[in-house]
Amino acid sequence: MASEDGEGPELTSSGDADTAMIDMTTSEKVVDLLNQAALRTTENKLVDLKQVQELIINKDPSLLDNFLDEIIAFQTDKSMEVRKFVIGFIEEACKRDNELLLKLIANLNMLLKDESVNVVKKAILTLTQLYKVALQWLMRSKVVSDMQEACWDMVTQMKEEVLAMLDSDNDGIRTHAIKFTESVIITLSPRTPDSDVPKKQEGDISLDKIPRDHSYIRYDTLCEEGKAALDKLLKFMVHPAISSINLTTALGSLATLARQRPMFMSEVVQAYETLHANLPPTLAKSQVSSVRKNLKLHLVAVLRHQSSLEFLAQISTLLLDLGMNQNDINRCTPAPQTQRKRTHAEPFHEGKKKIKIETTLMEDDEDKEEPAPALAPKPVAVPPTQSAIDVTADFLFPLLTPDNVANLVLISMVYLPNVMPASFQATYTPVESAGTEAQIKHLARLMATQITSAGLGPGVEQLKAREEDPNKDAGAGEGTSEDVGSAKDPIIKRKVSAVSLGQAISVLGGYSGKSLTSQSDDVPQTKRLPEPIVPSVQAKSASSSGRKKVFRLADVVQPLNEAQMAKLTSSAVQRILKAEKAIARSGMSQVRVKLLARLATQFEGAMKQDVLEFILGDIRNRSDLAFALLYQEYNIYLSQQPGSSMDGYEYCLFTLLSGLQEKPEQRDGLFTKLVLEAPLITESALEVIRRYCEDETRVYLGMTTLKELILKRPSRQFQYLHVLLDLSSHEKEAVRTSALSFIKRMYEKDQLRDYIERFALNYMQLLVHPNPPSMFFGADKDIEIASPWTEETVMQCLYLYLTLLPLNHKLVHELAAVYTEAIADIKRSVLRVIEQPIRGMGMSSPELLLLVENCPKGAETLVTRCLNILTEKVAPSPELVERVRDLYHKRVADIRFLIPVINGLEKTEVIQALPKLIKLNPTVVKEVFNRLLCAQHGEGGSSVSPVTPSELLIALHNIDSTKCDMKSIIKATNLCFAEKNVYTSEVLAVVMQQLMEQSPLPMLLMRTVLQSLTMYPRLGGFVMNILSRLITKKVWKYPRVWEGFVRCCQRTKPQSFSVLLQLPAAQLNSMFDRCPEMREPLLQHVHSLTPHQQAHIPSSLMAVLEADNKEPEPEEPMEEPEVHRPQRTISPQQVEEPPAMLRSPEPMRVQYPPSVEEPQEPMQIATPGPPAQEEPDLPVSQQEEVMEHEQRSSPVSPKQEVENPTQEALPEHSNEEERANEPSEQNTMETDTHTVDE
Amino acid sequence: MPSHPLRVAVVCSSNQNRSMEAHNILSKRGFDVRSFGTGSHVKLPGPAPDKPNVYDFKITYEQMYNDLVRKDKELYTQNGILHMLDRNKRIKARPERFQSCKDQFDLVITCEERVYDQVLEELNSREQETFQPVHVINVDIQDNHEEATLGAFLICELCQCIQHTDDMENEMDELLQEFEEKSGRPFLHTVCFY
Repeated sequence: MASEDGEGPELTSSGDADTAMIDMTTSEKVVDLLNQAALRTTENKLVDLKQVQELIINKDPSLLDNFLDEIIAFQTDKSMEVRKFVIGFIEEACKRDNELLLKLIANLNMLLKDESVNVVKKAILTLTQLYKVALQWLMRSKVVSDMQEACWDMVTQMKEEVLAMLDSDNDGIRTHAIKFTESVIITLSPRTPDSDVPKKQEGDISLDKIPRDHSYIRYDTLCEEGKAALDKLLKFMVHPAISSINLTTALGSLATLARQRPMFMSEVVQAYETLHANLPPTLAKSQVSSVRKNLKLHLVAVLRHQSSLEFLAQISTLLLDLGMNQNDINRCTPAPQTQRKRTHAEPFHEGKKKIKIETTLMEDDEDKEEPAPALAPKPVAVPPTQSAIDVTADFLFPLLTPDNVANLVLISMVYLPNVMPASFQATYTPVESAGTEAQIKHLARLMATQITSAGLGPGVEQLKAREEDPNKDAGAGEGTSEDVGSAKDPIIKRKVSAVSLGQAISVLGGYSGKSLTSQSDDVPQTKRLPEPIVPSVQAKSASSSGRKKVFRLADVVQPLNEAQMAKLTSSAVQRILKAEKAIARSGMSQVRVKLLARLATQFEGAMKQDVLEFILGDIRNRSDLAFALLYQEYNIYLSQQPGSSMDGYEYCLFTLLSGLQEKPEQRDGLFTKLVLEAPLITESALEVIRRYCEDETRVYLGMTTLKELILKRPSRQFQYLHVLLDLSSHEKEAVRTSALSFIKRMYEKDQLRDYIERFALNYMQLLVHPNPPSMFFGADKDIEIASPWTEETVMQCLYLYLTLLPLNHKLVHELAAVYTEAIADIKRSVLRVIEQPIRGMGMSSPELLLLVENCPKGAETLVTRCLNILTEKVAPSPELVERVRDLYHKRVADIRFLIPVINGLEKTEVIQALPKLIKLNPTVVKEVFNRLLCAQHGEGGSSVSPVTPSELLIALHNIDSTKCDMKSIIKATNLCFAEKNVYTSEVLAVVMQQLMEQSPLPMLLMRTVLQSLTMYPRLGGFVMNILSRLITKKVWKYPRVWEGFVRCCQRTKPQSFSVLLQLPAAQLNSMFDRCPEMREPLLQHVHSLTPHQQAHIPSSLMAVLEADNKEPEPEEPMEEPEVHRPQRTISPQQVEEPPAMLRSPEPMRVQYPPSVEEPQEPMQIATPGPPAQEEPDLPVSQQEEVMEHEQRSSPVSPKQEVENPTQEALPEHSNEEERANEPSEQNTMETDTHTVDE
Repeated sequence: MPSHPLRVAVVCSSNQNRSMEAHNILSKRGFDVRSFGTGSHVKLPGPAPDKPNVYDFKITYEQMYNDLVRKDKELYTQNGILHMLDRNKRIKARPERFQSCKDQFDLVITCEERVYDQVLEELNSREQETFQPVHVINVDIQDNHEEATLGAFLICELCQCIQHTDDMENEMDELLQEFEEKSGRPFLHTVCFY
């Protein structure tokens, strides 16, 4: 297949580029490519489409049917290369699967009428191929369906159209039409044994393969058509103003015909002769040489063919004239194998006669065969196929005596032009063999050619006589020809005087030496010549019918009444309508169409309806009628102006368009074509287009059409644009999205930009009204105007705007303006929908930065939302941070502005902002911490938090309690603790240590210690150290911390006993006051110590311990020394060890080597079951951790964030809510369990 | 203007001087151009008019260059043959014969009438299949360096004009006539089909 060779390389090259496609199935690949192609530039589109073609035609033809429509849809593409591709595709597809002709032939027909010549040319080339394919296909099918019949009718009609293109204004199209004609002639004539058959066309169909009993294809009809085509081609060739290229092409075609169909050899040789003697006068000098060169080339080609032998004389004379020498001619002449020739000639003639009997294909030749011998019984051997030229030449030959010729020359001298014509100069070759019999014969033949082409001479006359009266015998024919024979000389003169002087004289010139006798009455005759003989023939036929009775119509007819007339008119039109196929076959479809259009527009009422219905019955094939009708209506409208109504036109257009809309499946772009080619789009038509667009299955086609209208009808483009804009808020999503995508493309056009923008802004402006305008609900639905805004109605106002926003960032300010005025519900919706567009704009957008900088009053939440969207995934840019900082410091001191950019702030700024931040809504606070802490891990993007987790927690502890209530701080610290990933035992240890070293001690210190202990029980040892250190720092001076200290000791007993024993007596006492239940265990602990240890316990302490214990009093002194001793040995370990431990940089490593638990920690998030820790609150905190983790990984669900935008805007509000939400939290020293639970 | 670039073939007899000069210029102007010879061998001037250097079309320009350097470097430097071969080998590896190339073109330009005839004969002797037309134009150019350069510019101008026509086939006739007038040379022009 040709396509494989041509497109193979492209396929592989682009296939390599798209390695991603390797894994797809062919079908997916095709879909992908098609989608891609729809959006690409022409060049890439072609590459994609060619790939698709390769895939579905060669790789997997089963897909051909599936994707046919998609590919064919490209036939309306703007680029002609793409349209040409579609034609090529049609060719390949039809060759692959002939059944597709049924579907595709109409498309080819459409493309055959394309506005671009190049597309038309390509279509002609393809039709050349498909004509044969179609014929072969029909031959193969035993039973021909209606569809096939219609298809063939269309092919035939197209064939006629292309043949008619021989008269096209365009040279290139004519050239293609000639080649097409050639191919048609070859196909529609029988292949004979002496035919040259090109190898590649061996399998091609030709007339001889067509069975005579075929159910639909008529052998005779085809034969006729072939003959007609040949006639056309021959007629075309003798056109006086034919271009050199057309002529060259036709010469080549004739040569091909002569070789492939030797039966036409005689016509071809004759045509060559005629041409040689009558080169068109319009050719320039160099063109004449080009044409002569070609003529020579093709003559040699013809000469080489076996069947040329009969015409050897003519051909070699021509070749000699063209400057070829005899030797070369001889070399090209086939060996005269008489034996073979006879055997070849016989069937050839038989075959020919057979055709003639049934048809009239060879009638001309046949007629001449018989009279010729009678007419010219001269020694000249009469060739079996003697033409009019032969007859006349034979007639002239004896008359060309030297005297006659001399006179002829003298007479014609008068008509010579003053300047030698270029063509003469180029072609003149001195006649070498002047005066020989061969030369005279040649001259006679040349003259005969001229005479015959002028329609004169005995040969022509004879022919006419034959045609007029076929029964006339040969003798009568002879008589006629002799009568007219005397007219021959004047004819030559007419020719000479008219145009082709050069050629006529070129031959005569060689003769100047000879003399001929001239007929004396020649000169006067020339004067009356302009009328050819034809009128006299007519006169003769007129006179023959002269004596008949005069017929008068009025005598025989009665006037019809109205009803009859109407009925007859209507049935006449009906007949014309029904005669569609018959007329198409006869090639008069155009006339029929014109007629119907005229009729339908002239007669009102039912007839118009009939015609329209007829068109809609098969609009694909009857589109030409549709257009004709439409234009006719418009024409009438124009001609009646001014003041005429365009009802007729409007009705016609409306009916056609709505009819198309109702068709179930319709993809060939007829609708588009109709709309685009309609001279005027009326309101109702626009309404149909709108309906089309609203139909989900056709929305694309509808909108493409609308787009074309907008772009191609600038005078009313805004009207059309308005429809499209209206659709952008349509309730069907498919309609809306495609409208939006179309508008997006329109928006790039400067002249439309303004309008679209204004429309979008006006629409958005509606949001400032308290209620949605009634137009949203359609004019027909009577809905209360006061209905409230809903999500949908808000969206309706915004779709267009949001689409434009990423294209023109300046529009963002308008949104801000509307936003400030809108009600809360709308605000909420707005905040929800702007995410995508804002993200699209990006934080580098200068307009967005400007918005942040200016932040109109009332739009704070909008700006915050924008900031949030922008920074959700990406770290804030320095510019953005700068603007926000500015805004915050200079204009609106709302801390929430800072949140999105918090990671872009300085550490000190963050710490300064903390008190305000943690007072916000808990969700918001959580978000802040997420940002700060996630950034730490690198989870939240590339930004790095300005504060480390430990710094954050420490900063929280150091918040001035006058600036922020303790409750908020506690909640904030709880958030930190919840982040177990971040706040590992190491981090907490660092925090505790640093806090403990501060002076004064932070109020929440002990709470944090307790919390840490709860989370990481193994920190117990470390906490003991902390506690002992606190004793040295006189912890009891800080009542709050002291309370915590006590609690902690209580919690950590019995571990804490040794610490307690370090307290001064007074404090121990105070402690027992707080929790008396500690006393007994502590005492027991002391008792359990070794006496040595007991000795170390100061007696004052023992006194406190045993204050309530009356009985063991005497034992005390005894034990005391014992207690003291161990205390001394222990105290170095317990009191001195901690400082050493705390000083070392990694205290935890010493005390808690990263044992089993350490690596497990990060995994705890994932493990559902409680890990090895026994604390009751752990599962809860874990759960929360998981939750938070989820929130982080699915970056802060917008809903949650925007839930209360208005409340956020008003800080008092949020505080109230907070209070309402957490009434239980009163005691600042509540243990972690409570707060965490919350 | 046709949307795809014209596929042009420039043909002389040996695919050395005239066609290569044109090839050089046309490819620099962005045409999709190829060049060919129609002779049965590649002939280059030798030490005497009756002693040409004859090569097969398979021999690369480089090989010819080396061969001539070996034979008489001075002579071939002086008559410009080496320079020409040096240019040629930078354009393509070896001369190509028109008759052996089955690729399709939109436009074939020949550099002398004999070559034009050979091209026509070749194209007409092929079996026609697609009927895709190819225009063949002859521009007579004498086979020497100066004429080759002038001719190449003429060909280039012609190609540019053709490339810029809206409808090449329709306007070609007129265009050629104009060119004939301007350049004072006759052009042979015909159309063949693939």
